[in-house]
Amino acid sequence: MSAISYAGVSFGYPDGPLALDDVNLEVPAGEILLVIGSSGSGKSTLLRAANGLVPHSTGGRFGGDVVAFGRSTRTHRPRELADVVGFVHQDPEAQFVVDRVEADVAFVLENLGLPEAAMRRRVEEVLDALGIAHLRDRNPATLSGGERQRCAIAGALAAAPDALVLDEPTSQLDPQGAEDVFAAVGRLNADLGTTVLLAEHRLERAAPLADRAVTLSGGRITTAPGPTGAVLADYPGAPSVTRLGRVLGWDPPPLTVRAGRTFAAAMDRHPEPSADAPDPATRGEVMLRAQGIGVALDRRPVLHEIDVEIHRGEVVALLGRNGAGKSTLLRILGGLLASDAGRIDPRPTTAYVPQDPNTLLFASTVRAEVTETLRLLGRHDDGAVNRWLEALGLEDLADHHPRSLSGGQRQRVAIAAVAVGGAELLLLDEPTRGMDAASRHALERAIAQHAREGGAVVLATHDVELAARCATRAIVLGDGEMVASGPAASVLAGSLFAPQVLRVLPPFLTVEAVAAAMERT
Amino acid sequence: MAWLAWAIAGAATVQLAPSPVYVALIIGIAWLIVEVHAPDGPYRRAFPALLAVGVVFALIRVVISALTAHAGIDVLMTLPEVTVPRLLGGFTLGGTVEAGVVLQSLSEGFAIVGMMAVFGAFNAIASHYELVQSSPRAFHELGVITTVALAFVPSTIESVSAVREADRARTGGQSIKRGRILRSIVPVLERGMERAVALSESMDARGFGFAGSTRGDLAAGWCGLGALLALAAAFVALVGRARPAAIGLSVAGIALLVAATAFASGRTRDRKRYRHRRMAGIDWAMVACALTAPLLVGLLGFGGEDSLVWHTTPLHWPTFEPLVALALIPLLVPLTRLPSAARRTDIEMPEPELLPTAAPVAGS
Repeated sequence: MSAISYAGVSFGYPDGPLALDDVNLEVPAGEILLVIGSSGSGKSTLLRAANGLVPHSTGGRFGGDVVAFGRSTRTHRPRELADVVGFVHQDPEAQFVVDRVEADVAFVLENLGLPEAAMRRRVEEVLDALGIAHLRDRNPATLSGGERQRCAIAGALAAAPDALVLDEPTSQLDPQGAEDVFAAVGRLNADLGTTVLLAEHRLERAAPLADRAVTLSGGRITTAPGPTGAVLADYPGAPSVTRLGRVLGWDPPPLTVRAGRTFAAAMDRHPEPSADAPDPATRGEVMLRAQGIGVALDRRPVLHEIDVEIHRGEVVALLGRNGAGKSTLLRILGGLLASDAGRIDPRPTTAYVPQDPNTLLFASTVRAEVTETLRLLGRHDDGAVNRWLEALGLEDLADHHPRSLSGGQRQRVAIAAVAVGGAELLLLDEPTRGMDAASRHALERAIAQHAREGGAVVLATHDVELAARCATRAIVLGDGEMVASGPAASVLAGSLFAPQVLRVLPPFLTVEAVAAAMERT
Repeated sequence: MAWLAWAIAGAATVQLAPSPVYVALIIGIAWLIVEVHAPDGPYRRAFPALLAVGVVFALIRVVISALTAHAGIDVLMTLPEVTVPRLLGGFTLGGTVEAGVVLQSLSEGFAIVGMMAVFGAFNAIASHYELVQSSPRAFHELGVITTVALAFVPSTIESVSAVREADRARTGGQSIKRGRILRSIVPVLERGMERAVALSESMDARGFGFAGSTRGDLAAGWCGLGALLALAAAFVALVGRARPAAIGLSVAGIALLVAATAFASGRTRDRKRYRHRRMAGIDWAMVACALTAPLLVGLLGFGGEDSLVWHTTPLHWPTFEPLVALALIPLLVPLTRLPSAARRTDIEMPEPELLPTAAPVAGS
């Protein structure tokens, strides 16, 4: 039996082009279906249509029919589907109604008018199912991202819906938070048979979980639903272990590091790493030297005795778990925060891009947003504007409104808007959050180009794949102290931070390096 | 609800004993209770802010009355004076500034700070959502919307500081004043809008408004609105020290409308509430204790106790009567209680071991 079925669904937002174009899709009961596609491909719209948020809360032109468990969204509003379809949004902060976790979980039950005894039982079960019983009296605002998102899932799940719709549930989370959320989703599916419709950009964890996948592009289904491995084989944003499998001709393409290792062990000859690795001794001149940096926020020590040197032409990845002090160090290097101890000398011109690009964007077009920075600095340089728009692949979007763009595109606009000022040192805070493959490639290109032209870049990131692909050096922070520092390859190797390719086929860090080695042999 | 009774008792005591000595005691009690009972969160941090708002109000009041009220004794200084045309009231602005008037309005202003302290303590301790849950069915939707709106205040403040930092980041750490308001306001508003849209979707997807409203609900809603207005009128009458007749009239109005609300919502089906906290014996005990404070103070007032109100002409220090201070002790009773079960303090507990299989969730 199919849980949710889309029959010839077309949809256009008010005054917009078609976001969905004749979509036919069946989601069988009990399945985890992964919806993949680049930003703006219609993933969110497809998911929102499952419980009628599209078109009931968006307006617009809607054609075709979506039927969830025998109820058509044409005749049922989202609130009338609350007992069969649970919906979880990508922003964990924006979905709490009540300031206590337990009461928030019960919110849907009160709305549906369940008897009090049934409510009590249901809430307890859901708190246990998601492992958040110890958080029941907390205010959601005080929780970590992963905890918050699990609470949000509990809020959607309390009504015991037969299907759960998750719109990029981990795009705002750190790896640990993402891990927790996916573990919970997998358990729900396995234990309760909940049907899951999941959209995600970061596929390393989502792909092994899914039964089937479907790709979407321009509002149309481009690859019909099929086994996840087969669908991902041709997808540019596939996890790096899958792309590695593609390069080495492994079949079926592995989705997990474990599957990849099995293939690697069966290889008769491993590719040879190239000998001409860049020598760290030939680094450029010192651009920034920070010594003995220490700072306390709210009387809590955040950084302690940090020494950092940044050389020209370097890309430094700053790794560490949430709360380890990455953002704080970045803000100190950027001169936005004064440190309590230590000194920075020399200090180059810096540009800091905040984690949330939305704090920056206010102009009416992308080009105006980038030009604005130069205007504020009292300069006029169309050449620089064009150069940065091009470097980040934003030429085609130059006349769009920044707010109409996807998260990854907005992040690129924010980087261009800050970098255009001509700073030598770029400081990027978690730049790949919510980015699709195209945005990531554009970002990596821009980072490499800036370093090549004599600048330097520091990235605070959870994204080890990004670090593996563009960093020359890596620094690991733990509890406000420097835990490791050195060439990216040696810091990443053997740590829990290792990227997938390194775990499958050491000492290679990236698929590109493996492909180059294969060509040489 | 017990906290509501405490807050009412505290406010009433401030009204009955507005002498600065006793108000200071009550502010101290409110502060102590916040320190002991309030869960950490934005509302607890709002307590000092509310006190500050009270101080500002009080100072404004002092300035206005110093400029407008004149009796002609204990003159501190003389300012040039302007007499407002008769049409606008015909009172005199400026002129003599008198110590008695200033002190009198200072003490009245201090009573306002006392009221704010009691209100702030209530705000910091009581769960707004629980309060909504206890309200009549007719107010439920309105109440939920209000609590959600309240929750937006801290996130907006956070948003403002993030946006200001981003603005400095843009120009490499230097801040440029020109046009900064626009650069800050647009992102804050747009973030707020996006968040509000996401929240409304989440509420819709979770069945908010599923039951729909009946005619009884609507009637109850209108009566409730009327009762709120009457309450506001009564408050204005109280603070403005209007004639007893006006106060009596608005109190009667409140009673009538609340009864009508209860009647109208009583006829609609009962709203299901999760873990609806009923008043336990200990809660009633707390209510009773808290209410004895204004009662005792009121009795002392009838008994001719004249230290309750401080009259500043002729000038003298406010007097202190230990008996009144004793009468305030019942307001401290909540301190002896453990934090209520529904508001246990946030204690970090280790993550529980998860069982491999969760209990099946019953179908609806």
